[in-house]
Amino acid sequence: MSQDVESKVKAIIVDKLGVDESEVVAEANFTNDLGADSLDTVELIMEFEKEFDLSIPDEDAENIATVGDAVTYLTGKLS
Amino acid sequence: MSDGYGLLKGKKGIIFGALDERSIAWRIALACKREGADFVLSNAPVALRLGALDALGEETGAPIIPCDVTKDDEIEDLMNQTKEHLGGVDFILHAIGMSPNVRKKKEYTDLNYNWLQQTLDISAISLHRVLHHAEKMDVLNDGGSIVALSYIGAQRIFSKYSDMNDAKALLESIARNYGSRLAKRGIRVNTVSQAPTKTSAGTGIKGFDGMYTFADMIAPMGNPSADECADYCVTLFSDLTRKVTMQNLYHDGGFVNSGISEEMINDLAKIYADKDDE
Repeated sequence: MSQDVESKVKAIIVDKLGVDESEVVAEANFTNDLGADSLDTVELIMEFEKEFDLSIPDEDAENIATVGDAVTYLTGKLS
Repeated sequence: MSDGYGLLKGKKGIIFGALDERSIAWRIALACKREGADFVLSNAPVALRLGALDALGEETGAPIIPCDVTKDDEIEDLMNQTKEHLGGVDFILHAIGMSPNVRKKKEYTDLNYNWLQQTLDISAISLHRVLHHAEKMDVLNDGGSIVALSYIGAQRIFSKYSDMNDAKALLESIARNYGSRLAKRGIRVNTVSQAPTKTSAGTGIKGFDGMYTFADMIAPMGNPSADECADYCVTLFSDLTRKVTMQNLYHDGGFVNSGISEEMINDLAKIYADKDDE
């Protein structure tokens, strides 16, 4: 399950941020490492919601700063 | 002034593109309310989540209708909901622009073409889509007025504005082209070319501060504010400008017709004198 989530999360990030897959590592910070601006981060959250058919409250979204954060959060929500 | 002039009493409209209180569209909504208009507010779902449009909706009593203006079905849905709330509309504000290439700092000579398509679709072709659906679905009232916000990058190249220069040129062309089609119904279509304005979108452009200061120093009246732009747009939505159409109207404190200011000449002379001494 976790691997499936991880690969989907990475694919969304590559598509939305236009970054190379090799940059999308667990510790990569969306803003500082992957060049996301404020609109990107909201778009990512909304894409995650769509892909995994769930809703991510703003207070949770604020704590999702890295690729790893997203994978851990989504895996937890889906388990 | 704070009570307005009642210029838009009884008029109804759609206002696209307000994100937060710094947005020009936000200031225009407040000015339209002050002048007696009723309207619906719309923005893309992602912008609604990012911004604070609920507060403007409460302040102006305007319903908020999410709409991705690159999608025909969403525009149709918006028009249906607008009809339910207001019936026909007398004015539309298009204050929509976004470039992934600018946001991602792609050089103009190395554009991502998928992103360029998005830039043009969101920032320019959306005006055509909105007018197309508004007309076909009988939402536009005779004698109405459409305003789209533009920038002088459509005529003069500002390097950091990148593919948005092209998007604004297309936007202005669509305004003229559609304006000629709607003229027989007394409907005007114009673009307002506003000076650089310190909005959330504007300040996201790399080099914005330099562009702002440059325009502010050259324009004899300095850069007009978002509120001043709002007052101007109110006149264009009003019946006082009913034969103004197919125009790109500069609202820039005189920038477009100015070469350089005395202050800049003096400053540049000093800078380059120092360079000569080096």
